[in-house]
This record gives sequence, structure tokens and C-alpha cells, in this order.
Amino acid sequence: MYEVRMPKFGLTMETGFIEKWFKSEGEKVKKGEPLLEVSSEKITNEVASPVSGTIKKIMGEEGKEYKVGEVIALIEEEGEKEEKKEPVPPKRREERIKISPLARRIAKEMNIDLSKVKGSGPGGRIVKRDLLPFLSASTSLREVTIEKLSGLRKVISERLSKSFHTAVTVTNILEVDFTEFIKKVNETNVSITSGLIFVVSSTLKKFKKFNAHFDGDKLKIYTHVNIGVAVDTERGLIVPVIKNVDSLSLQEINNELKEIASKARSGVLKPEEIRDSTFTITNLGMMATDIFTPVINPPEVAILGIGRIKKGIKIFDNNTLFIRDMGYISLSYDHRVIDGADAAKFLKELANLIENPEI
Amino acid sequence: MREITFSEALGEAILEEMERDPTIFTYGEDIAKQGGIFGAYKSLLGKFPDRIFDTPISEEAIYGSALGAALVGMRPVVEFHFADFLFTGIQSITLQIEKIRYMTGGQGKLHLVLRGPDGVAQSAAAQHSESIETIFMHVPGIKIIIPSTPYDMKGLMKTALRSDDPVICFEHKRLYKIKGPVPEEEYLIPFGVADIKREGKDVTVVAMSRMVHESLRAANELEKEGISVEMIDLRTLVPWDKKRVIESVKKTNHLVVAHETWKRAGWGAEIASVVQEEAFDYLDAPILRVGEKNVPMPFSPPLEEFVTPDYKDVIKAIKKVLE
Repeated sequence: MYEVRMPKFGLTMETGFIEKWFKSEGEKVKKGEPLLEVSSEKITNEVASPVSGTIKKIMGEEGKEYKVGEVIALIEEEGEKEEKKEPVPPKRREERIKISPLARRIAKEMNIDLSKVKGSGPGGRIVKRDLLPFLSASTSLREVTIEKLSGLRKVISERLSKSFHTAVTVTNILEVDFTEFIKKVNETNVSITSGLIFVVSSTLKKFKKFNAHFDGDKLKIYTHVNIGVAVDTERGLIVPVIKNVDSLSLQEINNELKEIASKARSGVLKPEEIRDSTFTITNLGMMATDIFTPVINPPEVAILGIGRIKKGIKIFDNNTLFIRDMGYISLSYDHRVIDGADAAKFLKELANLIENPEI
Repeated sequence: MREITFSEALGEAILEEMERDPTIFTYGEDIAKQGGIFGAYKSLLGKFPDRIFDTPISEEAIYGSALGAALVGMRPVVEFHFADFLFTGIQSITLQIEKIRYMTGGQGKLHLVLRGPDGVAQSAAAQHSESIETIFMHVPGIKIIIPSTPYDMKGLMKTALRSDDPVICFEHKRLYKIKGPVPEEEYLIPFGVADIKREGKDVTVVAMSRMVHESLRAANELEKEGISVEMIDLRTLVPWDKKRVIESVKKTNHLVVAHETWKRAGWGAEIASVVQEEAFDYLDAPILRVGEKNVPMPFSPPLEEFVTPDYKDVIKAIKKVLE
């Protein structure tokens, strides 16, 4: 609120006489606009408004004499009202937190929000013990190496989590006798994986629903079989794709697998060589794993996992026991589109092809 | 290991070094005939009569003559009778002894040892009870050793007697008769290496002299309450083992410094200040000091006890720092 005071026109002026007001209470006035007329002993002067605003109160009555400096009116300055109603909170520094230097350092290192910590030290000072509940992961977790995900690992991570969170994955597992199969691939001089791709391709031709993509809405069943083969590389898992497997001979599959696997390991695969698979095989046969549950490679609907092949006992129908090359095959599938019985049939067919190879 | 007293350890150190080094001689008030007012030289009675002798009561002459003797290549060991009396000859020490090596650019060695009793004992009152080691820490130019055990007494004194710098040694009156293990074979203790008397994890207590024993007693009492105290005896004040103290504070995050001398501007303030400068981010509480109340020592026994810090004050400070 601006206080309008009786002005002093000359050195000797001690009082002034209000002749008249040009404005009344409640009226707006601009800075420099005539506000009132004051006369002293000798002269009469117009007094301009010193500020812009609204006249709130006029204390100086017309026809009366006032001392120089006496308040004769109040003007609410422009913007003053708003300010009063909604006082801009003064920019305050964050409230000072009482905390020991040690606790402050720990909180900073461990990224602890101090507003959630109650101090138990003298005068409510936060000390180390108050932070202990926030370090629940124990101090042994404090020494970490932060490894930023590489581009490839990021892709793997995103795809796997998408698969895990959308597909309803079920895994059926079957024990299979690989003895004849291994004999056969050795004879034809191809790798076990190539042989498996070959028999899986035949199985997929019969169980078409497994050679498909599912987007949550439509199931797209493909005529041709494109098999993705999981390859472990130094940079992580890569799944290069052999296209149109159903039209390739075992030898051709073997050649192509060799080529893409070596490309994958040296990191020179072209984008189209890792796209458009319709089914995936992941073979851990050479690793120390008997049985595992592979994760579907979306948008595919199933994946086949091959466990370690090792010496095992097989009981034949005539109750004779033989030591054979035994292994487990695991079929993970999206239960939203494939039922367990279908999966069992798929495995049975595949096992039959492995145990009685005609490759 | 055999056990000998603090004063016997001192006597052994001086005697062994006198036998080794013919430039060493020792003098002061009432040491040759009486064996020292608190028996420090009892074990030296009758030994080396021409190299251990008494002087008139004139501190200025005693310290001044030691300065001169050292400058011409001797190694005087001067007893100052009571630490309080160092002030009566202070200019020889602070103006000359502490400056000569520096002012001659190291050309003049100044191997001399000032040694004698300090501290509170049995109503010796204001002029005979002081601990004034901080004064010599403040004025640069002299090394300060303050042993708390017979073992440290002997090892540090032998090092002092082979040093090229002036050394001052404060021996607490109440320690002369304490016994402790001292090996018969020769050993030396280097300056600036603190002794961790006791390992602990909750709080570090730094002390010297009699307060080492008070602090250890406090640590034993607090152990019953589950408080684990790490007790460090600095042993030498100039130089002091900053590294070991800071390492300990980084582990315990709490520090109490305990000394018998006045708390106000006592050397504990220096330790506390250096620790907060160099290990601020490791402190979980303010550093506390234990020291004598800021008055001249009263004669009255109850008042003497009131003014002098002991293990109870250390316990109080530790509990406060861990609040």
C-alpha cells in the first residue's frame, strides 16, 4: 500500500491545505495523473499521483490543513492485490537437514532420499545407524561394476522379456535315444545340429501350427520353414536363420549352418540373415545341461531345446537294458495357441525321426 | 619376559647409550646424589660419576649450557626437575635450541635431550603439576616423546639419544613406579609410530602418557556394555602418527582425544582439527576432547581430583560421541 503524504513545495512550507481531490475512493489512478490540489501560503499546486493503482482511502479532507509528511491517502499499487492474495513463496533453500558428514557421504553414495530418514543422533541428527535399514542389500553389494548393456545384449534383453511377459510358455520334455541318429550323422559327415534341423523341418511340415507367428490376435502359419539356430558368440546369443529349410538337403543344411554360424561368431551377419525365422532350435548338447526350458523367440510360437546327449540306460519292450546315447528334447510353446497334446504329438513324431533316422 | 619399572627402563636406556657413546653426559637438579626427585635416576646412582652430576638451581644456566655443549658435539641429557620449571629457562629452548638447526641451514646438529617429570601427583599444586607438552608442539623445532610404558620409555629414549635433533621427553610422575615387560636385548622405537593398544570398531580414543592407562580402563569398562573401543597411544607428539589415527577414524567413524593437559587449546584440539580436515566425510559425530579444566591446579585433593581428567571422563566422552 502506497502512502500519499502532504508534499513540501518550498523550504519553508510546514503545512498544506487540501483544496480538492480529483479522484475519489475506489477510483483508479495512473502515475502522473492529477490527484489533488494543495495550497500553501503562497501558491496552489496540482499534485500528481506518485504511483499507478486504486485509491483505497482518502484521509485528507478537502478544506483542511495537514502537516507536511502527514499521510493523506492510501493507494493500492498495481499488482499489489494479486501479490497479497497469492504471495509468491520466497525461494527458500531446501530445509537444512542435520546429518553427520559420514552419513551424508553414505546417503550420497547409496542414493538415499534423506527426507525419508529420521535422525536418532543428538538433536535429531542423522547418523550412520539411521541409514542402515536403507542399506538392506548389505554393504557387500556396495562394490559394483556397472556394465552398460551392449546393443546386442539390449536386443536380446528386450526380446526375451517380451516373450516372457506375453507368451504363456509351457515346456514339454521327452527323453530320446540318439544312438542311431548319431551313427547316421557321423556316417553322412554332418553335425548333430544339422541333422536335428533336418528332422525338425520334417516334423514342422506335419505340425504346421508350430511353424507360425502369433501377434496375440492372428496366428500366421507359414508354408516354408525358416529355422533360427541359437549360436553362442563372444558378444552374446545370436540366432541366425536358415531359410527354406524344407527345400534343402541335409548336406545343404550342414553347409549353410557352418557358414552362418561362423558369420555369427565373427559378427558379420547381415540383417536379413537374422530375420524371419519361423521356428528356433537351441542346442546345448555340447554343454553341461541335461534339461532346460528355452524361451520362445517371438513372434514365433515354439522353440526346441536339445540337452546333453550322454550314456544312459534304455529299457526296451522286451525288458532288456542297454546303454545308449540318451538325451532330452524340450519343446517350449505358447499355450495361447498350442495345447499340450499337440506338443506331445510333435515331440513323439520328432523322437521317432531321431530314433529311426532316414536321413 | 622380565618386568622392570618405568624409571629402571629410563636408567637402562641412558646407561646403555652412555656406554656406547662417550659424548653422552647427563645433569640436572638432585639427580646424581638423590637419584631424581621421583626416583627416575635411582638405577644410575654411583654410575659414571664424571658424566652424571648435579647442578645449582638455575634453569637458564642448565638449558643454556646444554645448548652450548651440543653445539660443540656433546650429547647432553638434561633433567628439568619439574616440567613447570621449563618456563623459567624457556628462552634457551624456544629461541635457541629449537632454532639453531634451522638457522644454520642444518650445518649445526643439535643432539640434546631434555627430560623430566610432568603431570598431576598428590597435591603438588599449581606450580608442580602441569603438563605443558602442547607449548613445544606449537613452537616448531623440537621432537616430543611421551612414553606411557617401560617398554616405550626405553625404546624411545634410545632413539632420542641417537637423534641429531633436540628431543624433549615428558615422564608422568605417576608412571615411574609402574612395571612392564622389557626385553633384555636391544631395541629402538622409531618416532611417529603410534601404538594401537587395543583394537575396536565403535570409537577411536587417542591418548598419551597417564591418559593411555585411564583410556584403557575406560575401554575395559565399556566393553561390558558392548562398546568396542580402539585405543591409540601416539607415543610421540612431534611427529605424531596422523596416518594411523585417520585410518582408525575411517574404521570407527568416532574420535575422542584424551590428555591430562588443559582442554583449552591442548594438543587434542590439533588432532581433532587435522582429523576433521582430512577425514571429515568419515565422521559420524563431532570429535570430543577430554582434558584438564581450565584452571591452575588446586592444592586441595578433592579439587585436584575434580580438575584432573580420568577414566570416568573418557567414558563420558565416549558415550556422548556415540549418542
